[in-house]
Amino acid sequence: MACAAPVGAATRPHYGGTLRVGMREIPIALEPASLATSSSSNLSRLIFESLVLIDAQGRLQPQLATSWQAEGGKQRWRFVLRRGVFFHDGTPLDAASVVAALRSGHPEWRVQSEGTTVLIETEAPDAELPRELALPRNAVYRVGDEHPTGTGPFAIAEWVRGKRLRLTANSRYWFGRPFLDGIEIQFGLSDKDQMIAIDLARLDIAEIASENIRRATRENRIIHDSQPEELMALVFSKAPHSDEEAHVRNALRLALDTRAMNEVLLQGEGDSSSALLPNWLSGYAFLFRAPQDEGPRALAAPGKNPAPTLGLAYDSSDSLARLVAERILLNARDVGIVVELGNANSSDLTLRRIPLASPDPKLALIELARALALPRPQFADDSLGALYASEKALLESLRVIPLLHLRSAMAVGRSVRGEGMLVDGSWQLVDAWLIPEKP
Amino acid sequence: MSFRRRLLLLFAFSVGVSVAVVTSIVSTMTRRAFDQATDTRTAALVQQFRREFTRRGEEVSRKAETAASSPQATRMAVAAAQPIPDYSGFLDAARELAQTERLDFLEFADNRGTIISSAQWPAKFGYKEPMALWPAPTSPFLKEEETPHGAELGLFAVHALAAGDSKLSIIGGVRLDRTFLLDLDLPNDMRVMLYEKTEASDHGFSSRHLITPSDSQEDAGQLAALIESVELTGREASVITTSKAGEEMVNAFPLSGENNQLLGIFLVGSSRQIYNQLRREIRLAALIAATAGLVLAVLLSSWAAARVTRPLEQLAEAAREIAMGNWKAFVSADSRDEVGELADALNRMAGDLLEQRERLLQSERLAAWREAARRLAHELKNPLFPLQLTVENLVRARSQGPEQFEEIFAESATTLLSEINRLKNTVAHFGEFSKVPKPQLEKVRVDELLQHVASVHRAQLQQASVECRVETSGVGTMFADPDLLHRALSNLMLNAIEAMPTGGTICLKARQNSGWVELEVSDTGVGLSPSEAQNLFTPYYTSKQHGTGLGLAIVHSIITDHGGSIRVESQPARGTTFMIELPANHDAVRALPGNHA
Repeated sequence: MACAAPVGAATRPHYGGTLRVGMREIPIALEPASLATSSSSNLSRLIFESLVLIDAQGRLQPQLATSWQAEGGKQRWRFVLRRGVFFHDGTPLDAASVVAALRSGHPEWRVQSEGTTVLIETEAPDAELPRELALPRNAVYRVGDEHPTGTGPFAIAEWVRGKRLRLTANSRYWFGRPFLDGIEIQFGLSDKDQMIAIDLARLDIAEIASENIRRATRENRIIHDSQPEELMALVFSKAPHSDEEAHVRNALRLALDTRAMNEVLLQGEGDSSSALLPNWLSGYAFLFRAPQDEGPRALAAPGKNPAPTLGLAYDSSDSLARLVAERILLNARDVGIVVELGNANSSDLTLRRIPLASPDPKLALIELARALALPRPQFADDSLGALYASEKALLESLRVIPLLHLRSAMAVGRSVRGEGMLVDGSWQLVDAWLIPEKP
Repeated sequence: MSFRRRLLLLFAFSVGVSVAVVTSIVSTMTRRAFDQATDTRTAALVQQFRREFTRRGEEVSRKAETAASSPQATRMAVAAAQPIPDYSGFLDAARELAQTERLDFLEFADNRGTIISSAQWPAKFGYKEPMALWPAPTSPFLKEEETPHGAELGLFAVHALAAGDSKLSIIGGVRLDRTFLLDLDLPNDMRVMLYEKTEASDHGFSSRHLITPSDSQEDAGQLAALIESVELTGREASVITTSKAGEEMVNAFPLSGENNQLLGIFLVGSSRQIYNQLRREIRLAALIAATAGLVLAVLLSSWAAARVTRPLEQLAEAAREIAMGNWKAFVSADSRDEVGELADALNRMAGDLLEQRERLLQSERLAAWREAARRLAHELKNPLFPLQLTVENLVRARSQGPEQFEEIFAESATTLLSEINRLKNTVAHFGEFSKVPKPQLEKVRVDELLQHVASVHRAQLQQASVECRVETSGVGTMFADPDLLHRALSNLMLNAIEAMPTGGTICLKARQNSGWVELEVSDTGVGLSPSEAQNLFTPYYTSKQHGTGLGLAIVHSIITDHGGSIRVESQPARGTTFMIELPANHDAVRALPGNHA
C-alpha cells in the first residue's frame, strides 16, 4: 500500500546505484536458517532462493524447481530443477547441491538426487511439504569460504558482523540482473535514527515499527506496509498443571485489554486479536472473541490470598514489548494477579513476537506452533474448518495468549523507484532502481 | 603489712582514683560536647535537607507549570474537553515533556482522574490517578509513585490547566534518590541515607529500599531496628552502629506525605571515629598519667617512707635491743617532729630503765647479801648456841668431880664435834653453791645418762618404795657436761623421792625436739603450791625443815650454764614435773658466754 505518491515524474528504470537500507535487527549469521525473523527473512530472499515460492495470494509458484509432483500418497515428492541457474560463486545449481542443503536442514527427510531431479521422502505422507520448502529457512545454499552462497538476485560482497552487509547484483541471475548494482544494509539502527537518515538522504529504505506507522504517515513519508504479519503473544513456559493454574491463566487472558493496547500503544496500526492467525490470513479470526467482549471482568478475578504471582520476561530492547509488558502488569493487577517483570530465566511466561512464516495459513500455523514449542497442529482435512479446529486446540491448551498482530512497514526515500512490500512483509527489491543524481 | 607498703598502696590508690576520676570526667565532658556538636550538625543537615526539599519542590512546581503551558498540554486539555475524548495520540507526550523538563515523573490526567499520558508508566493510560481528583496541593509534597518496577518515592507538585468546563491535572515529580542525597553538602564524617517506606517495604525492613550516596549497603542490616522503630512510632530515633569504618551515630527522621502517611525516613549518620579517637587518646593519656603517677607514687612513698619509717625502724630496733637487755641502746633523733620527740622519749626511757635497773640490781644484790647474811647468821647461830651451852657446861663441869667432868667432857666433846661438823657442812654447802664449775662439754648419750642416774639411786628408790621409769626413745646424743648434768638430775630425783614419803613413781623422760633435747623428771608426790612453784629456784628458798634452799638453785644454775631452761609444773597431791630444755648442738652450747671448752 502506497501511502503517498512519489514525487517527480516516473521514468524508465535505470541500472546502477547502491540502495541503502536500515534495519533495527542485527543478524548473528547469514545462513538461511539463521534468518528467520520478519526482518532478516527479507535478507534471505535477496540472497537465497527456495525450490518453490508462495506468492502474495498464497499460491505455490516455481522458483529453483520448475515442476513437482507427489508420489506414494504424498510421502514422496519429486522436484525438477531449473536449468541455467548458478550460485554466486559460479557453480551451476545441480541436484547434489540441493540435496546437501536440504539434508543439513532436515536430517529426518530422505533426500536423493536423480539427474536434474530431487526426490524427497518423508516419514509420513506430507501434503504441506512443497509449501514448507518455500520457507526462507529451506532455501538452497552452498557453504562458502567466508559466507554462504546462494542463487538469489544479490550476492554477499562484504559482511561486517553487527554493523553492515554489502550485497552486489548477481549478473548471472536466472531471472535477469537487478537494476541496482548493490544494496548496503546497516544494522542496529533505531526507528528514530533511520527516519533522520532518510530525511538526510543517507538511507533509501528504513524500517518502521508498527507503533510508529501512524506517526510516519502523519509526517507524509512514502510508506509501504504489510498486512499484520507478526504475532505478539504471551507464551507460558509450561502447560498448566492444575485447574487453579488454568483458572489463573484464563483470568489473565480475560484481564488483558488488547484493544487499548492496539488503540494507544500501536496507535491503531495493528490488530488486537484473540487468534493466532490474523483475520486476513485465516478469515475466521473474528470468531475468537476478544477478552473484553467476553463479559464482566469480575469473572476473571481469582481472589486468592496471597495473590498468584507470575514472572513475565520480555525483550527489554523492544520498546513496544516493554510498553505491552507494563500494560499487562496493570491489567493483571486488576484481577488480583501479580505480574513481575524479569528475565527469561526465572519467568513463567514470555512476551514474544513471532513472525508468520508464510502467507499460507496452514503452514503459518504449523510454523507458529513450532516457534512456540507447541505440539504440531493436526488437520483433519484441507478445509478451513480443520484449520480453525487446530488453532482452537492450540489456544485451549492455555500455553499461549494472543495479544496483537503487527504490521511491517518501510519508509522509502524519494529517489527510489520500483520497490514494494508484499502482504507478508517481504521486500520487493529485485525490480527496484534509483533515480540517477543530476550532475 | 609494713608502713612502707601501706604508704605505697595509699599513694597508688590515690593516684589511680584521681586519674580515673579525671579521666571519667574528661571522657564524659568530651562525649557530651561531641554529642552536642553531633546534634547541632545533624540539625543543620536536616535543615539543609528541608531547604533542598523546598528548593527542588519549587523547581518541580515550575517545571510542572512549564509542562502545563506546552502545546501538548494544550492539545490534551482540548481533547479532555471533548464529549468522547481520544487520548491515543498522547502516549509519548508525558515522556517527551518529562525528558524536556528533566522530570522523573509526569502524568496528565483529566477531570475524571483518567490518566491521559504517563512518563513513568506510559502503559498506565486510562487508569485513574487519585491526585487529579483532589484539590491541588499548594506546596510540593512527598508521594509514593507506582512504576512498572515497583513503588518509588518522589517529590511532587501539581498544576491544573483549565479548558472550558474541564480540567487537566499535570502531576510532575522528581525521584527522591541518590542524586538528591549527593546534592547535600555534607561534612567529611557525616553521611545521609534515605529509606523508602513504600507499599513494597511494608513487609519489614529491606536494604533494597535504603538509598545511600554510595552503592555500599554493608551495614544496612544494623539500621533495621532503627527504621522499624520509626515506622512504629512515627518519631525520630537514633542508634549507634558499628562497621569496619568504626562507630556511627545514626539519627532517623520520619518523612510524611500529604495525608501524614509515613513515606520515607531520612537518616543522618555521624561518624564517631573522631570521638573514639579522642576517647582512645584520653584513655592513653590517662594510662600514661596513671603509670607515671604510680612510678611517682612509688618514688614518693619510698622517699616519704624512708623519711618517716627509718626513724621508726630505728626506734623499733632500739626497743627490741632494750627488750633483749641492751639498755644502752640509743636512737639518734635529728628531726624535731613527732618522731624526734618519740626518739628522745625512748632514749630517756632507756636511760631511766638502765638507771632503775642498776638501782634494782644494787638493791637486789644488797637484799641477796642480807638474805645470805641472814641465812648464814641463822645457820651459824643454831650450832653456836649448843656450842655455847656445851662450853659453859664444860666450864661448869670443871668445878665438879673428875668422873662427872669426864662424862660431861665426853658428852660435850661429842656435841661440840657434832655442831662443828654441822657448821662445816653449812659452810661447805655455801662454798659448793659458789663453786658450781663451768660445764666441760662432751658428747653424752642421753639414754645412758638417765639410766645411770636411775641406777645410782636404786637403793633409795627401793627403800622409799618408789618405782622409777626411764623413757628415752629416739633420743641420741647431746653436748653437755655429764657430771654436772648427772648432779642436777640426781638432785631432782632426790627431791622427787622426798616428795613421795609413801611411795610412788618417778619417770625420767627424754625426747628430741629439733635442735633441742627435752628432759623431764616427774613424780606422783605431794606436789607444790603455786607459791612454792614460783620461788622454787630462788637461792636459799626451801620448803623443807632442814633444807638449805640451794639444791634447786644449783640445778637452775647448771641448766642455765648449758644454755638451757628449766620450769616446773605441779598440782598439789597430783605430783610435780620438772621440764628441762637443753641445746643438743655443740656450737649452740659453746656460743654461750663463758663456755670455751
